[in-house]
Amino acid sequence: MTTMATALPQFPWLTLLIGLPLAGALLCLLQRRSAGECRWLALATTLATLAVSLWLFVTHGDGQSGWLLREDAAWIPRFGIRYTLALDGISLLMVLLTAGLHTVAVLIAWPEQRRVPLFMALLLMLESGLMGVFLAVDGVLVLFYLCWEARLLPMVFLIGIWGEEGRRRAAVRFFLYTLAGSLAMLIAMIALYLLYAAQTGAPSFALADLARTRLTLTQEYLLFGGFMLAFAIKAPLVPFHTWQPDALSESPAAGSVDLTGLLLKTGLYGMIRFAFPLFPHATRNSLPFLAALALLGLFHAAWNAYRQDDIKRILAYSSISHLGLVVLGLAAWNATAWQGSILLMVTHGVVTGALFAVVAMLRSRTGTRELAELGGLWGAVPTLSAFFLLFALASLGLPGLANFAGEILVLLGTFRSQPLWALLALPGLVFAAAYLLRLVQGMLWGPAPAARGMMADLTVREWLVLIPLAVLTVWLGLYPAPFLAPLAGPVQAALGGLP
Amino acid sequence: MNQTLLFLIPLLPLCCAVLNMLFGMRLPRLFAETLAVSGVAASFLLTLLFWGYADGDGTRAVLGTWLAVGDVTVPFALHFDALAAPMTLMVTGVATLIHLYAVGYMHEEEDYARFFGLLNLFVFAMLAIVLADNLLVLFLGWEGVGLCSYGLIGFWYQKTENARAGTKAFLVTRVGDVFLAAALLWLFALTGTLSIADINAQAASFTPAVLTALTVLLLLGACGKSAQLPLMTWLADAMAGPPPVSALIHAATMVTAGVYLLCRLFPLVSLSPAGMAAIATVGALTALYAATCALAQREIKRVLAYSTMSQVGYMFLAVGAGTVSGAMAHLLTHAFFKAALFMAAGCVIHLAGNENDILRMGGLFRRGPRELFWVFLAGALCLAGVPLTGGFFSKDGILLAAYTQGTPLFLALWGIGLLAALLTAVYTFRLVYLIFAGEPRGHMHPHELPLLMRWPLWPLALLGLGGGLLNLPTLVGGGEWLSHRLGPLAGRVLTAAHGTEWALAGLATGLVVLGWGFARWRYARFRGEWDNRASRFLLHGWGADALVDRLVVRPFAAIAGLCAIGCDRALVDASLDGLAKQTTACGERLRGLTTGRISTYLAGFVWGFLIILGWFLLALVR
Repeated sequence: MTTMATALPQFPWLTLLIGLPLAGALLCLLQRRSAGECRWLALATTLATLAVSLWLFVTHGDGQSGWLLREDAAWIPRFGIRYTLALDGISLLMVLLTAGLHTVAVLIAWPEQRRVPLFMALLLMLESGLMGVFLAVDGVLVLFYLCWEARLLPMVFLIGIWGEEGRRRAAVRFFLYTLAGSLAMLIAMIALYLLYAAQTGAPSFALADLARTRLTLTQEYLLFGGFMLAFAIKAPLVPFHTWQPDALSESPAAGSVDLTGLLLKTGLYGMIRFAFPLFPHATRNSLPFLAALALLGLFHAAWNAYRQDDIKRILAYSSISHLGLVVLGLAAWNATAWQGSILLMVTHGVVTGALFAVVAMLRSRTGTRELAELGGLWGAVPTLSAFFLLFALASLGLPGLANFAGEILVLLGTFRSQPLWALLALPGLVFAAAYLLRLVQGMLWGPAPAARGMMADLTVREWLVLIPLAVLTVWLGLYPAPFLAPLAGPVQAALGGLP
Repeated sequence: MNQTLLFLIPLLPLCCAVLNMLFGMRLPRLFAETLAVSGVAASFLLTLLFWGYADGDGTRAVLGTWLAVGDVTVPFALHFDALAAPMTLMVTGVATLIHLYAVGYMHEEEDYARFFGLLNLFVFAMLAIVLADNLLVLFLGWEGVGLCSYGLIGFWYQKTENARAGTKAFLVTRVGDVFLAAALLWLFALTGTLSIADINAQAASFTPAVLTALTVLLLLGACGKSAQLPLMTWLADAMAGPPPVSALIHAATMVTAGVYLLCRLFPLVSLSPAGMAAIATVGALTALYAATCALAQREIKRVLAYSTMSQVGYMFLAVGAGTVSGAMAHLLTHAFFKAALFMAAGCVIHLAGNENDILRMGGLFRRGPRELFWVFLAGALCLAGVPLTGGFFSKDGILLAAYTQGTPLFLALWGIGLLAALLTAVYTFRLVYLIFAGEPRGHMHPHELPLLMRWPLWPLALLGLGGGLLNLPTLVGGGEWLSHRLGPLAGRVLTAAHGTEWALAGLATGLVVLGWGFARWRYARFRGEWDNRASRFLLHGWGADALVDRLVVRPFAAIAGLCAIGCDRALVDASLDGLAKQTTACGERLRGLTTGRISTYLAGFVWGFLIILGWFLLALVR
C-alpha cells in the first residue's frame, strides 16, 4: 500500500471503465430521451469503453506478472475498507471481452421497441457491474461483492421484462439461485474478515491481507465451500446448473449474449481470483473433486444438449459442457492448462455470443426456436446460415477456429499432469459434434417448411455484428498469441503462490 | 529460392477457396470455375517445380507460430520430403483433373461457389496432412478434410438423407479422431514436442507396451478416416455426394489419409510387432469384408465405395507387413484408377438419367459412347488386378510382403488377401457386365458428353494402367523407383526367391481369371439378381449399421433422455420446486398465526413467556 501511495498519480483508467457505462446508463434514464437517442447513446458508451479497454490491451498486454494498473483510495477506514481496483493480465482479457460483447449486445438489441431507455440503461449497468467484478480484485472484497450483486438485478429485470414466454419463472429462478450462492459467499467473506481481525487486530478486506489469515483445515474447507458455492452456481457447474438453460433461453437476445459470454465467466474468474488463492490447502485437496464435477458436467450437459428441441436450450447446455472443460483445465493445475482454460473462456465468450446473436437474427425472421419447425435455411438465408455454420464449427472445436486453440492447450496441459482426466474428456469431441451437427442439420439442411415465406438475408446492422465476431473467431484460432501473452505472468504467479 | 515458397502449394488452394466462398456468387460463373481449377493446377505445377527440395532429408519451412505457451511451441511448419512429394504430386494432379471434370459435371448446379470453395478447401486440408511437419498441423488438415467431406457429402442438402449421410461421416470419423488426439496428447507428454521427425527419432526410447498402445491409438485414428473396420460404416453412405466429390475425397485422397499417417509415423509404428500385426489384421479383414459387401451392391457408386474400402484395406495390410513403399505404390495407383472409375461412373449415371441402380442399366457398350467403355474397362482391369496393369503390380507387392513375413498370422492374412482378390475380380467384372453388356434395362439418354467430362478421365486411366512402372519389381526388370526414392522411409526390403515371386504372381493371375470367368457366366447375360437372405445381408454391409444403431446410437440417445428428462427435469428441478413449495407452504402455515385477533397474539405471548421462564428456571437449577 505504501508503495502505491508514493507512486505518481496516474489517470484513473480503471475507474473510467466502470464509470463510463454507469454514466451512460444514468444519461439514458435521467432525461426523458427518445428510444433512438438512447440506442445511439448506449452504442457510443460501449464503443468508448471498448476503445479504453483496447488501449489498455495494446499498451499493457505484454505478459508481465503482477498488477499492470492499480487504483487505491481510502473508503471506509473504520472497517479497513478501501476502494481498490487493479488490473492484471487475466482481468485485462476479461475486461476486453466485456467491452467487446457489450458493443455486440447493444447492436443486437437495436430492434427492441419496448422501453428502450430502460433496456439500454440496464445493459450498461450490467457492463459497469461486470467491469467492477473483473477489476475489484486486490483491495476490497466488499467492492467485489457489491459489483457481484450489482450485476444480478439488471439481469433479472432484463429477463423478467423483455424475456420470452417463460420469463417470469426463469427470472425468479435465476434470482433465487444466484442469491443463495451469493449469501453463502457473503457469510464466508464476513467470517474470514472477523477471523483476520481477531488474529491481527487490524481489520482489513484486502485480498493480500486476508490470504495471510491462519486457518485450520476445517475452517478453510468451510469458507472455501462458501465461496465455491457462489462461483459454482454462477459458472455453472453441474449439478447447480438448472437455472441456466431457463435463464438463457428466456432472456432477450442481448441478455443471452451477456449471460453466456460474460456472467458465466465471472464464476470461473472468481475461482481463479479469490477461492483458489485464499484457501490454498482446501483448493489443492479438492482438485480431484472439482475435476470429477467438471467431467460430469461436460458429458451430462452434452447429453442434455443432444436431447433439447429448443435452439437456445441446446446452446445453453453446450455452454455448460464447454465450461466443464475450462474447469477441468483449472483443476489440472499447470500453466499450459490454465492458459488454455482462460483462453477458452475468452473464445467461448466470442463463439457462443456469436451463436446467440445469429439465433436471435434467425428468430426475428422465422419466429420460432423449435428445431422441428426449422430447416432448409441455407436456401433462404445463405449468408446468415454460413455465419451460423462457421460459429457452430468453431464451437465444436474445429482446428483453425477459436475454441480449438484453448481446448488443445487444456488437453495438452491436463494430460501432462493427469493423463486419465484428459483421456476421459476426449470423447467430448464427439459429443460436441453430435449435438452441434444435429442443430446444424435441423436448422440449415433438409427441405424448407412449406409455410415459410420469403426472408431477407443480412441487414447492415447484422453485418456489423457478425463480421467482427467472425474475424475474431478465425484470428483466435490461427494466431491466439496476442491473447495468450498477457496470461503468462499472472498464471505463473497464481500457480506458484500455492503449495 | 526461398523455402517458404513451399507454403504456396497448400495456400494457393486455400486462397482460391476463401475467394470463392466470399465472393463466388457475385463473380461470373466462368471466373469462379477458373479460379478453382487454376488454384489447384498452380499447386501441381509448383510441386513439380519444387521437386528437388524433397531430395535427401527433404526441406522444412516455417511460416509462423500457431501456439506458444511456456514450453509448448507449435509452429505452422511443413516438411517436403521423399514421402510427402509423390503424395503431394498425386493429390494436386488428381485434384486438378477432378476439378476440370467437376466444371463439366456441375455445369447446371446453381450453388457453384459453395461447391468449388469446399472442393478447394479440401485440397488445402489434404495438403496440410501431407506436408505437416508436426502433429497439430496434421490434425488441422485431418479435421479440415472431415469438414469438407461433411459439406460435400451433404452438398445437395435439400434432401435430408444427404445431409444425414454427411453428419454420419463426420461423427464416425470423429470417433477415430478422438483416438488420434489421444495419441497426440500422449506423444506430447512423452516427448515434449509435436514434431513428427522428433517423435520418430525418440520412439526407440519408449517401452514396448507404450509403443503398442500408441500404435493401436494411431491405428484407430487411421481407421476412422480410412473407413476400416470397425469405423467403416460411413463410407457407403458418403456416396450421397456428387460423383466428383466421391472421386476426389472418397477414393483418391481423404480415405488414404489414414495410410499416409501410419507411413508418416512408420518409424514409431514399426517398433511394435503387436501393433503391426493389428494393423495388418484390420487391413486384411476390411479388404475381405468390403469385397463381400461389394458383391451384392446395387448402386454403382456403392460398389465402388466398398471396393475403395477393400483396397485401402490392402494398403493397411502393406503397412502392417512392413512395406511403406508397397503401401504407397498401391495408394498412388489406386488413386489414379479409382478416380477414373468414379468419374466414369459419374458419366454413366449422367447418361442413365441420374439412375444409380446397375440392375436397371445395361447395354451401354452399344448405346453409349465407346470411349467411356474403354476408360471404365481400364479402371476395372486395374481394380481387378489383371496382370501388367498398375493394380496388379501394387497388389501383388503387398501380398508378397505378407507372404514373406512367414509367421502363421501373416500367412493367414495372405490367404485372406488372396480370397479378397478373387472376390474383387468377381464384383469388378459384375459391374462391367451389368453396366455395359446386353440391352438397356432402364431409360437411357445417350447423348454426347461434354468435353470436360471426357478427357480428364484419360490421363487417370493411363496412369492407372501404367502405374506399375512406379515401383516395377526387379523380377520383371524394373528398378523399384518408388522404393529407391523413399530411401530409408521405404520400410522393409522384400527378399524372396524368384521362383516364389513367379508362383505368387501366377496364383494371383489364376484368381483373376477365375473371378472373371464366374462374373462372365453369371452376368454376361442378365438373368436377374439373387435376392435371398445372404445377398440382403451383404447388401446391408453385414448389418453393420443396424448393429451400430443398437449398440451405440440408441443407448446414446437413451442416456441423453435420462440426463435431460430423468435427471435435470425430474431430479434437480423437481427437488428445487419441492423446496420452493415447502417454503411457500411454510409461509402459508405461518400466515395462519397472524389472524388479527388479540386473543391469538395474547396466547402466543403467554406461551412464549412461559417457555422463556421455564428455560431460566432450568438454568438456575443447574
